[in-house]
Amino acid sequence: MKILIVEDEPKVGNALSEGLQASGYEVTLAQRGEDGFFLASSRSFDLIVLDVMLPGRSGIEVLKTLRKQGLQVPVLLLTAKDSIEDRVLGLDAGADDYLVKPFAFPELRARLRALLRRGKTETIVSLKLGTLEMDLTTRLVTRDARPIELTVREFELLEFLLRNKGRVVSREMLARDVWKENNRATPLDNVIDVHIARLRRKVDDEFEPKLVRTVRGVGFMLSEDERNGKV
Amino acid sequence: MARFRTTLRTRLTLLYVSLVCVVLVSYAAATSIFLWQGLLREMDLSLDRDLETVENLVAIMPDGSIAVNTGDQEDVLLLEIWSASGALIYQSGELKGQLLGAPVKKDDPSHPANRSIRLANKMWVRIMTRPHKLGNQSVVVRLGVSESTLREQFDQMVEALALGLPIALLLVGVTGYFVARRALRPLGSMARRARQINAEHLNERLVLENPEDELGHLGTAFNETLARLERSFEQLKQFTADASHELRTPLTAMRSVGEVALQNGGDLRYHHDVIGSMLEEVNRLTHLVDNLMILARADSGRIPLQRGEVGLLELATESAVLLEVLAEEKKQSVEIEGDKSLTVIGDRLILRQALVAIIHNAVKYSPPEGSIRVRVGTGNGDALVEIHDSGPGIPPEHRAKVFERFYRVDKARTRDEGGSGLGLSIADWGVRAHGGQIELECKEQSGCTFRVRLPRNGSGNPRS
Repeated sequence: MKILIVEDEPKVGNALSEGLQASGYEVTLAQRGEDGFFLASSRSFDLIVLDVMLPGRSGIEVLKTLRKQGLQVPVLLLTAKDSIEDRVLGLDAGADDYLVKPFAFPELRARLRALLRRGKTETIVSLKLGTLEMDLTTRLVTRDARPIELTVREFELLEFLLRNKGRVVSREMLARDVWKENNRATPLDNVIDVHIARLRRKVDDEFEPKLVRTVRGVGFMLSEDERNGKV
Repeated sequence: MARFRTTLRTRLTLLYVSLVCVVLVSYAAATSIFLWQGLLREMDLSLDRDLETVENLVAIMPDGSIAVNTGDQEDVLLLEIWSASGALIYQSGELKGQLLGAPVKKDDPSHPANRSIRLANKMWVRIMTRPHKLGNQSVVVRLGVSESTLREQFDQMVEALALGLPIALLLVGVTGYFVARRALRPLGSMARRARQINAEHLNERLVLENPEDELGHLGTAFNETLARLERSFEQLKQFTADASHELRTPLTAMRSVGEVALQNGGDLRYHHDVIGSMLEEVNRLTHLVDNLMILARADSGRIPLQRGEVGLLELATESAVLLEVLAEEKKQSVEIEGDKSLTVIGDRLILRQALVAIIHNAVKYSPPEGSIRVRVGTGNGDALVEIHDSGPGIPPEHRAKVFERFYRVDKARTRDEGGSGLGLSIADWGVRAHGGQIELECKEQSGCTFRVRLPRNGSGNPRS
């Protein structure tokens, strides 16, 4: 998978580039709007990550021109402005998704996966990690074949973690995707921590190996591996 | 319409002069008319007496002719005697053949007794006509008196009045101008002083000569504005200082953790831990900046309300359920009760954010196994959501400040427990934006009640 990143801040650009390369993507980095535009129109990419605030030519302008030329590649906008007008502006210009800075890297990766997956419908009926199994149709959860009672919220939380097994999910992702909370100011961090603690009691306390892991400063991960997984 | 660019002083003077002019002219006209009528009345009285005298002087001669024994007054007497059938039978020589008006008959109602006429030689004459018995003959006697003297005197008086008017107006104008200048003088000094007041000298105030007069009211209003500005400025300064402090704390933590880790070396696990610790601070900073952004946008009025009908009990329940697990962890009980049908028109998300912040606050400050009660109802025509906690209460001196940004009753509370210190400020803004307010009542040792008061029709104007 080839990804073009257009980002003028070198630290951010390099970090994204390294992070995505480590995740197995082939990454090209452009630091100016013009360069990004040239690369996007001359070479083929599977996805473009575009910063809005660029020197010279803004991300929105680059995007509009690309779309005018008929380029269909999915584009994810990075914006520092978290207001509705800016989002609408970006989506109107032809962006497929946007992410507000500062964002968590796991979230960026999740969004990219979702964009690349777009159009391909998957019908998963059950999720599994080690001896932990979840049947999405009967909503039955078992560990070592023993049924585990979960509340609706705990079930959704575990489902999200299972779908992202082996990858770290941030609290922001959980707030938005499990709690459906779009307001970043809502104080959900403590609530999420409590739910994770309860889930851990039910899923891990009486079993080995432990599956629910806390990655300090980033979020949580479901993994059989004892070591901290990659972010 | 283009207006004359004149000073207030000039405009006042002009207005004053015009008013005085109208008053003086009306007064002079009324006086003149009144005077003229008085003079005529007096003239008629004297004419009446004269006529009586003349009637006694008229005699009928044996030959049927009429003789008037006027003595030496013959030359001034304007006298006519008419027969009952309307024939002129006598006319005094002074009239020189001119008639005192149309011929008259006895009992002719078309001739008023007294009137002014003008003779052919342009002389104004006041005449009086009345029937008279001369022997056994009925006649009509008509006597006239010249009005010349009277008219001359009257004209002189009117002239004098007309001449005096401009002089009076000039005097009024000059004095009016000086009076206006004197009255408005404090305005000039106020303007000069106001110009010197800027952001660095917001503590200065206008000096008021007399706070009770109109200029004093203006000055007082201006001073009150200055006081408000000064207060906002102080709050802004305080806010900036607090915000810098709040931003600096996580930055300091990140810096020292990073520097120490670099100096110590250590294994991979240690470094993971250090990075994790730094990322925690980054999360804290992110939350802080998000909240500051909300407040900054709210302050500049750039958050439009998406109004709709909001069921308050449902919203309160939803907010409480969101935070329920936190209460459960502390073995606190959360009770929600109230009127299910109570709705307000408002922005659901913003109201929810406010309720979540207040309930979060209640959970945070209530002790383990304490209770939190949420009640939805009405009071004074407003919709109310009361959130009662079982915390230690808030000392009176802190109550007004709990909605201030970054304000924490207990300065020693750690950031982990205390949050960003912006939740209640955002709640306060959200409720005010709906024209409502949050009231705070505390009882010693039995907790506080945060009462969210919202206008029921939602048409209330935002309170600043």
